Amino acid sequence: MKKLVQLNVNGDTHELAVNPDETLLGVLRNHLDLIGPKRGCDSGGCGCCTVHVDGKAVYSCMMYAVSAQDKNVVTIEGLGQNNDQGNGNGRELDPLQQAFIDAGAVQCGYCTCGVIMAAKELLDTVKNPDEDEIRHAIAGNLCRCTGYQKIVDAIKLAAAAV
Amino acid sequence: MQLPRFEYVRAASLDEGLAALAKHGADAKIMSGGSDLLVNMKMRLDTPRVLISLGGIAELQDIEELPDGVLRIGAGCRLTDVIAHPGVSARFPALRDAVAAVGSRHVRNIGTLGGNLCLETRCWYTNQSEDWRKARDGCFKTDREACHVIKTASRCHAINSSDTAPALIALDASVVLAGPAGRRTVKVLDFYRDDGVQHTILAPDELLVAILVPDDGRRAVFAKLAQRVGLDYAAGSFAASLRGPADAPEAVRLVLNAVGAAPKALTESERLLMASGLTDEAIEAAALGARQSLGEVTNLFTPSGFKRRLVKALIRDALVTLRDQTA
Ligand SMILES: Cc1cc2nc3c(=O)[nH]c(=O)nc-3n(C[C@H](O)[C@H](O)[C@H](O)COP(=O)(O)OP(=O)(O)OC[C@H]3O[C@@H](n4cnc5c(N)ncnc54)[C@H](O)[C@@H]3O)c2cc1C
Ligand code: FES
Ligand code: FES
Repeated sequence: MKKLVQLNVNGDTHELAVNPDETLLGVLRNHLDLIGPKRGCDSGGCGCCTVHVDGKAVYSCMMYAVSAQDKNVVTIEGLGQNNDQGNGNGRELDPLQQAFIDAGAVQCGYCTCGVIMAAKELLDTVKNPDEDEIRHAIAGNLCRCTGYQKIVDAIKLAAAAV
Repeated sequence: MQLPRFEYVRAASLDEGLAALAKHGADAKIMSGGSDLLVNMKMRLDTPRVLISLGGIAELQDIEELPDGVLRIGAGCRLTDVIAHPGVSARFPALRDAVAAVGSRHVRNIGTLGGNLCLETRCWYTNQSEDWRKARDGCFKTDREACHVIKTASRCHAINSSDTAPALIALDASVVLAGPAGRRTVKVLDFYRDDGVQHTILAPDELLVAILVPDDGRRAVFAKLAQRVGLDYAAGSFAASLRGPADAPEAVRLVLNAVGAAPKALTESERLLMASGLTDEAIEAAALGARQSLGEVTNLFTPSGFKRRLVKALIRDALVTLRDQTA
């Protein structure tokens, strides 16, 4: 039987009828068209589905959507300042997003949205994290392309910018 | 991986949770953070008809320092919150280290301490996709009286991988269980059964509500070895505690996990260290004794020969750290 849930996602409130067995990842992607969070392993082992729930980075594939009732969910689409004047391109990038571009920390990009959300929690909670803290914060995110060094560089760059 | 269909019940209080559990009995499963349960449900190792979420029960989410020095941690406290609690870091650094060793930050942000203690046992044979299992014979965990990892076994040898269990046992902690008949408090060591299918003493209508950590002047260490930090379960984990001087201990507790269905107290090695103190020779002998005391080691993701060597090294290094820390 479907359940009515209220989800606060990127500042908007949605009322949705979902099956209890739908994960938060599934609802974000399939009902709300937020395709930043990716489906990789679908079992808590790769991190490309990472979003924030009440400010904390979690695997959205490991949470039922019904469990996110009344919580604040933020996906990569919700980062940055919204200066939209109605022309659809008014969103300013978050310093982390900009740093990933500047440091060349993206190759195929499949992991990127998740890595940025994990790094975002770190930068929200720790001022000037050292390399060890950075590597621990993204230890739950796998990247098959970059070898991580440029990702770490990007996070350092962003930390210096904020 | 599509999840099996079930009814979702969000308990608003402990009483509601217990009532739902009493009503649905064996059809129901408890969910705290869900970080273990969802994996098992996606693999169809668990197919509950009713899921009772404890996430909305405020009284399970408190950490309190009681007047007698006991730290009381609600079973529903998230691992990140346990690490951040000043009383945990200041008074029980070994517990903090064990909690910090669980998975990645993402896992600790939803996983709870109660869920970690109740963590299902795992085995390389059965913890696989449904298709993989369908192509093979069943076992104690599914539908046959057989174990394919240890062929001669008469019970399930799936492994207990909880990182916090050995640390809490070394600290002489207890768990508070609640059921329809009231509450009972048991030592964490006695909470476990050496059987991978029914690996705790929790009755079907009981819940774990709190963890009590006494402060009796013990110092402790925790050590874990895993393939990848942040993603992998322990290939071996170990915790030790010591009260009194290292050369003449008043109490020693040594606990190994991820070697069997239950955490293992190393009583022989404890006696050895009590008798001779933590000298280099005694530490070596205690580590060797532990290695030899491992009976049938299930070869979960690590060959058993490797696991024996690993266990010995893990214990020796941790005991040296504990001694030097308290010297
Ligand atoms: C990628 C990944 C890596 C992981 N790495 C580790 C690791 O390194 N070390 C480790 O120990 N664990 C690890 N885990 C397992 C798990 O995430 C943690 O053990 C976590 O602490 C479980 O807590 P939870 O609240 O999410 O449990 P849940 O999934 O909610 O529950 C786990 C089990 O306990 C039962 N249960 C939960 N709460 C109660 C209660 N109050 N009373 C009675 N029964 C209850 C549930 O029915 C279920 O069977 C990992 C998981 C993932 C996905
Ligand atoms: S898809 Fe969620 S962790 Fe891999
Ligand atoms: S950029 Fe391809 S997986 Fe990270």
